[in-house]
Amino acid sequence: MVAKPITTGDTGPRASGGASSRRTFLKRGLLGGALLFLGGAGLALFPSREVVPAGPAPLVLEPRSLQVLAAFAARAVTAPGADPGTIARRVDAVLACATPETKKDFNGLLGLFENALSGLLLDGRVQPFTRLDPAAQDAVLESWRTSSIAIRRTGFQALRKLCLAAFYADETSWGALGYHPPSGLNAMAYDDSKAGTPEWLEAQRAENAKKAGGT
Amino acid sequence: MTKLALVRSSPHVIDGSAQAADLALDADVCVIGTGAGGAVTAAILAEAGLSVLLVEEGGYHTSEDFTMRERDVTTKLYQEGATRATKDGGISILQGRTVGGTTVVNWTTSFRTPEDVVDHWKTKHAVAGFAYPDLVPHYEAMERRLAIAKVDYATLNANNKTLYDGCKAMGWQADTLRRNVHQCLQTGMCSLGCPVNAKRSMLVTMIPDAIDAGARLVFRARGDRLESEGGEIKRLRGALLDASGNAPTGKSFTVTAKRFVVSGGAINSPALLLRSGIDDEGRVGARTFIHPVIGSAGLYDTPIEPSRGAPQSAASHHFAHRGDEVGFFLEAVPWYPSLASTAVPGYGRAHHDMMMLSSHTALHIAIGIDGFHDDVVGGRVALRPSGAPVLDYPVPPKLWSMFRFAQKRLAEMQLASGAKKVATLHDDPVMMEPGKGGVDEARIDAARWELGSVPVFTAHLMGGCAMGDDPKSSVVRSTDLRHHTLKNLYVIDGSVLPTSLGVNPQESIYGLSRLMATRLAAASK
Repeated sequence: MVAKPITTGDTGPRASGGASSRRTFLKRGLLGGALLFLGGAGLALFPSREVVPAGPAPLVLEPRSLQVLAAFAARAVTAPGADPGTIARRVDAVLACATPETKKDFNGLLGLFENALSGLLLDGRVQPFTRLDPAAQDAVLESWRTSSIAIRRTGFQALRKLCLAAFYADETSWGALGYHPPSGLNAMAYDDSKAGTPEWLEAQRAENAKKAGGT
Repeated sequence: MTKLALVRSSPHVIDGSAQAADLALDADVCVIGTGAGGAVTAAILAEAGLSVLLVEEGGYHTSEDFTMRERDVTTKLYQEGATRATKDGGISILQGRTVGGTTVVNWTTSFRTPEDVVDHWKTKHAVAGFAYPDLVPHYEAMERRLAIAKVDYATLNANNKTLYDGCKAMGWQADTLRRNVHQCLQTGMCSLGCPVNAKRSMLVTMIPDAIDAGARLVFRARGDRLESEGGEIKRLRGALLDASGNAPTGKSFTVTAKRFVVSGGAINSPALLLRSGIDDEGRVGARTFIHPVIGSAGLYDTPIEPSRGAPQSAASHHFAHRGDEVGFFLEAVPWYPSLASTAVPGYGRAHHDMMMLSSHTALHIAIGIDGFHDDVVGGRVALRPSGAPVLDYPVPPKLWSMFRFAQKRLAEMQLASGAKKVATLHDDPVMMEPGKGGVDEARIDAARWELGSVPVFTAHLMGGCAMGDDPKSSVVRSTDLRHHTLKNLYVIDGSVLPTSLGVNPQESIYGLSRLMATRLAAASK
């Protein structure tokens, strides 16, 4: 046994600052300190574009991350009725259930996705993701999807899955799929913890026999 | 008879989110976790006359909350809002977080532990504290209590029927499954919580039994650490969570008890021990098994409607034993749009086009049986800086080899059952058609077999606090699941399994927990 217990202090519902999140993400998994320096400079030189109206503060994502996510969603989810801003807000709400570290990682991931100078090194682009035209954005998605760097692929998949799951959880998408789940069955719920046990079935049989005998 | 509607409002049930002050509780036995292990243990101990307190991190959600809408329930019923994944993000983890645990959201498949697996534990992992015959009466008791029964072929939905028929057409073993349901309405919504309580989960059976017998339950209460003195656990400390379940209220709770039973399941049980400074020289959290899953989509001319009917009701264990190669078994899984959209490859137009075919698409899976080969040693649970657990599960070459082999068998089986197209779930899927050469083994072999290019899932978490009689290779004793050195600490749940099972785990956990809780009750008198 080790002697030292580990404290389980919460870091609160908000992730901490985006710059430190990106640093952690880069240092831990991807490209190291040199790119971190370039990435920071790149962010300062090329501000993000506002893709959807800013609206109320997100629960988990930094406001800029929300914009990047909305831009990603606009390319990833093109089904009829898909609204990038709505999808980004729903993903933000789902991420409220995630661990503090996962929250930080997502802000870091979206920062890296947007970052112009890391984009220059990885994809040969010189603009932030949110400022690219749709075809160039699709090229970035493809670059991440097919990357030889595992964390780019899994990062892309995480964003893809969250956006798609958020959209298809909405019933407005279901008609086109022929998906019509039942509703309102809850009132028919069995209210007996012993239902189905042999003793319960025997009691039911006895009850039924009694009723039949009485008629 | 216990009216379920009355359990939630019992004075024995405490909502942690509603407490205006810190809570100090005591009991003979504190059971941490209310899933397959904790609920059975609590009911047996309470019925034996012990004072029992159940502690649950999740909310107390009932059939009234189960709206059959993914958006309403996934964030309430699943760990990390169903975003839990392995450390590198490569494997998605579906695990319950609610009163009743994963039993509330599973697909009801019920298997006893295969006898040869119990024998393997004895020979290879020094598990001599029980043998298969010791488990049998406990399986029988749980099967009666949970109305576990085998389903008829006639009741299979098309998703399961195509699996069954395809396996038979290939000459492979296949059978219908046993399910823990009573008068199931076949809504197909098992993993969103049964809206009619037909599923005999812990929520509607053993937890009411425990409360009936005098046990208390506190929910929205996250156990943070166990404190020990003089070789035994003195108390559990934790945080009360708000009604969303996502943030502490600022109030804490403390439980003092004569005995502590950790039943948080694989991942959360080892994490609690690790947060408490109990790592047993690296054995806690090690050898965590996941039954890793890959899938294959089959497109049929006839409607499949894979969200309707019993989600899982057929399986094949034809390839469970493959000698030096990793074995696997085949099952079907339902498609709900949100969950399915994450398994369907690609994005944009191509993704939506494939989603539009979902009513005619069957999804069949191969489930890898990890932990039986020297080079398939499972993953490791560790702690994040916040104390939250994370599972690192490097996929060894032998599993990748199994995935390739199983992908080919899935394709053969789907074509044999009449699929007009088969697609792997790779991000660049391998598409196959019967008239164009059938199963293309070379293209399957050449596909990108790496995380992030092919989705790998798990819904079966096992191990991390292995049982065994050699303290150098295990965490708890196999006679009673007591920790080797901390004399009042027990682990009773799926985390004690020394390997995976080769079958869906719920009934294995019920039977083992009932045996061990019965022994603990006898020892407590």
